[in-house]
Amino acid sequence: MKLNSTPPAPPPFANYHPKHSFYDEYLSAGGYKDGVWQPIAGYLDRLGSDRIQACAAEAERLVHQSGANFQITRDELQKSRPWQLAVVPLVLDDQTWGKLESGLQQRMRLLERVLRDLLGKQQLLKERILPAELLSANPEFMPAYHELPARGNRLTLTATDLARDNDGSWWVTGDRTRAPSGLGYALENRIITSRVLPQLIRRSNVTRVAAFFSSLQQELNSLAPRMRDNPRVAILTPGEHSYRYVEDAYLARYLGYTLVQGRDLAVRGDRLNLKTLGGLLPIEVLWRHVSDHKCDPLELDPSASQGVTGLLQSIRSGTVSVANSIGSALVQMPALMPFLPAASKFFFGNDLSLPSIATYWCGGAKERQYVLEHLDDLVLRPAFVVSGSPPINPLELSTDARDKLIAEIKARPHHFVAQQRPSRSTTPVWHNGQLRPWHMAMRSFHVQTENGVDVLPGGLIRVSPDTESLDHSPNSGRRGQDCWIVADAPVDHESTLLPPSNAPIRLMRGGKELPSRVAENLYWLGRHAERTEAVARLLRTTLTRIAGENPVEDVVDLPRMLAALAAVGQIAPDYAIKELVQALPTLEAVLPDSVFDRNQPRGLQASVINMVEKAKAARDRISGDGYRIITQIGDDLVGTAKNPDIGATIERLNQLITDLIALSGLGHESMTRTHGWRFLQLGRRIERAYQTSELLAATLTHPISDEGPLLDSVLRVTDSIMTYRSRYLSRLQATAAIDLLITDHTNPRSLVFQLQAINELIAELPNDSVYQVCGEDQRTAQHLLHYVRMAEPTDLAFTELSGKRSELSGLLNKLIDGLPRLSNEITARYLIHTGSTQLLNGSTEKASR
Amino acid sequence: MIPRSIKQRNSSVDCKSIVTTIDPEPDVIDHHTDYFGNKVTSFSIESLHQSLAVSVESEITVHQHPLPAAVQISWEQVAEKLRRFDDPRWFEAQTYLHDSPRISRSAVFAEYANNSFLARRSLIEAVSELTDQIHHEFQYDTAATHVDSTTEQAFELRAGVCQDFAHIQIACLRSIGLPARYVSGYLRTVPKAGEQPMLGADESHAWISVYAGDDLGWVDFDPTNACVCDTNHIPICVGRDYGDVSPMRGVALGGGNTELKVSVNVESIRKG
Repeated sequence: MKLNSTPPAPPPFANYHPKHSFYDEYLSAGGYKDGVWQPIAGYLDRLGSDRIQACAAEAERLVHQSGANFQITRDELQKSRPWQLAVVPLVLDDQTWGKLESGLQQRMRLLERVLRDLLGKQQLLKERILPAELLSANPEFMPAYHELPARGNRLTLTATDLARDNDGSWWVTGDRTRAPSGLGYALENRIITSRVLPQLIRRSNVTRVAAFFSSLQQELNSLAPRMRDNPRVAILTPGEHSYRYVEDAYLARYLGYTLVQGRDLAVRGDRLNLKTLGGLLPIEVLWRHVSDHKCDPLELDPSASQGVTGLLQSIRSGTVSVANSIGSALVQMPALMPFLPAASKFFFGNDLSLPSIATYWCGGAKERQYVLEHLDDLVLRPAFVVSGSPPINPLELSTDARDKLIAEIKARPHHFVAQQRPSRSTTPVWHNGQLRPWHMAMRSFHVQTENGVDVLPGGLIRVSPDTESLDHSPNSGRRGQDCWIVADAPVDHESTLLPPSNAPIRLMRGGKELPSRVAENLYWLGRHAERTEAVARLLRTTLTRIAGENPVEDVVDLPRMLAALAAVGQIAPDYAIKELVQALPTLEAVLPDSVFDRNQPRGLQASVINMVEKAKAARDRISGDGYRIITQIGDDLVGTAKNPDIGATIERLNQLITDLIALSGLGHESMTRTHGWRFLQLGRRIERAYQTSELLAATLTHPISDEGPLLDSVLRVTDSIMTYRSRYLSRLQATAAIDLLITDHTNPRSLVFQLQAINELIAELPNDSVYQVCGEDQRTAQHLLHYVRMAEPTDLAFTELSGKRSELSGLLNKLIDGLPRLSNEITARYLIHTGSTQLLNGSTEKASR
Repeated sequence: MIPRSIKQRNSSVDCKSIVTTIDPEPDVIDHHTDYFGNKVTSFSIESLHQSLAVSVESEITVHQHPLPAAVQISWEQVAEKLRRFDDPRWFEAQTYLHDSPRISRSAVFAEYANNSFLARRSLIEAVSELTDQIHHEFQYDTAATHVDSTTEQAFELRAGVCQDFAHIQIACLRSIGLPARYVSGYLRTVPKAGEQPMLGADESHAWISVYAGDDLGWVDFDPTNACVCDTNHIPICVGRDYGDVSPMRGVALGGGNTELKVSVNVESIRKG
């Protein structure tokens, strides 16, 4: 018997006690006695708190690993995933869902009709079903949207935000018709929840979500004006600094689409094209995630750079389809909600089965009066836009602010809607080791196809202990949850997006379609990864020398190692000057600190951060395994105690170096030899050559009297000590070391090896006709290789009377100058594709009198 | 933007032919009609070029009828009929009744209009007076404002060019509930007796059009010259403000500075 054993925790569901004032998803559906939750609650109770907690921890780890929440920036580690995942899902029976689903389908069909009308005949306005001001006073409406042609539906993917009331009825709190976010997170929630509760989900008859995604894919493909069986579909993302980026990259990878930004695109001859290393490639379908008015600086907002000039014209010419069509944001305006029932009557002759939360558009005189009289029962929102900021709650305002608000409503009534606060049901949420009744918000997703509307079975669930925070914005709330639609009987299985294996496939060898921007990111990823490794090795060797038995003063090679560290910017240059060292803090303290110092602009941390940033920017090109390693590398140096000791620091560096090697191994073994791989390798080779040159210049050009230990250290830093030992045993001599590190073409760490590889890689890059001869980059690379090939190890190792190795120094200086130039030439030739653009719209109007 | 035919109750433009020449030759040319009914020609040039010349030659007939003196509708009646949807053209007028990207209604503009818009006054009379008032109280000064100056800035300065004056008058009219639109076009200058007409002396110009009820329709006024528009005013396109109808707009790839020159030449084909 164990002493002090705590009594077992009570079964979580048996111990779940929601507040009675709200509809509770578990209790109201029958709870433990009956209904869909019963077998699930039973399973989880048998599992017990500890094991559920273990599942929760595993889920957290998977979320972290997937990289969806990983965003390392220069200033801080921040979470870009809005919610942590709560492991216990929301469960709904399929009858409840069926009713909700048909309401959602009806709503999407209606919004499509309304949008078509607003951008077309405008019958709704002329017949005064909708107030004409919804367009004429609406600053979001750009005249250029009107009559912009659309192939198929104007709305492909929409979302609806829902709340469940005390009586179990569903209310719509908002629509998203532009480019709803959250679909990627809903998918990821499902993938992770089923990974941590595999048995439970398999035996629970949960409707699969994959069919929805294949329907989305088919629908997007069907919009293509040409090549409909295999069109080029691109996701237009606002860029890596947008909250959308992580999700866009995730969806691009899952659906097999190209992820593009505005500057990757060009309209030529009325066609939308992707700018790639191999030239322009036409895009058939653009799934855009940028705002409507930012899509085309020529005809829409001229200050926006997220879109592409001429897009509207290429839409008019019918060569590209954009989903959702430009202008679709109009029907998500809150001011539309009160008029939807009338619009439904007008178009379809029937009522809306799914009601919207009470919404009053202040542009109407009666509504305005009602709102002003009932201000405290309502919240206020902008009428024409879906805003990311929380609604105005008059109860929270000071008297002054309240008066201002009232004056503002009276002065600009068209711009306000007032809404009732929704009541929100509670559902069991796993939090801190127990189930809590938290409030719930659901976002449903729907795809409109030729045959109707497909609804994602489930949706994105946000939960929070209070209701207000869920009302703030679509990203608010404390945690996310998966949502299971559970049937009585087993459901059909379609769990893959792959086409049937017997379908014919065209064999392709690709790589040319690499956007120049992605090539650039891969190139810099290579450079930063290599720099990180070089600096980490140099630090590790130096720290190991300091940590030895000898007092620091007796470590003869230390000054040269410090010079090398100073040369790469890891420590202050003062440490390389013997006379100054005394005045500085001790190395034992400074070196470990420098490893973890995030503010050192050229230090190891900066290098890791740069590397992770570049990986993030190219993440749709990096495999899941690769990204896991990169995530790990980002974590290797994070979260250290204040004064790390040398031993612990060396341990961290060991881990970092191991992870970096894993990454580089993965690049070698798992990446196809496309241009993407070539740019990654070019970055690595150029950086390795540069780092080695700097290291040798700092350590060997002015030889110290007892060079043995220094050579040993240099060979360790360059990972060549094993090879050296196998050849020369323990005799450490400069000539042999210099040969191994500079002129030995069999050593993958030598300079000549890097330069040979650089030349081979450049030769394989696409060569446009203008440069039939030899690009500048090619010439520089050949020159550098020539210098190294012609060098003789004994000459290089020769020390003159002045105490200098002039030959060596001369060669290394050529490389230290030439390699950055080579890098610039490569960037200029392949990676910079757009010059600046300028708007031409001076006033041409003078006047006479 | 290229010339179009425009039909109004008291004036019309009949556009018979248009010849557009663009140098260098564009790779693509497209035409479409915008939300306001204007004709838009868009083109792209993919070759490198140092200069771009666009010339539009069109043959048009401008008709101008005197305003029927018998119609004496008050400005309140027009506004009220629109509010009650009693005016058959309320929907068309709606577009020009609210704030637009460069024009925001406000109490300040309404107050400025109040001098002329006395109770039950004839709309035409009141607008004419407002037109005169702007002409007298505002300084024509090409240095006072630039293309992107706001309407409020020009109003504060009491100075500007035709574009500013048009924006200010539209702001005043909309602020008291009257639909008003911006007209961009050309002004033909008639040489003084005995002088030869000068080539290129004619100008791009801008003025306003106010909705004066179903009987009169849209009536054009020129606040820069303090007049009701006549056959020397040749409208090209209409919109809510300058932003909708800038005569030419584009994006160029590449660096360097650009310079824009515009000249207009109006010649009569037949004496009349």
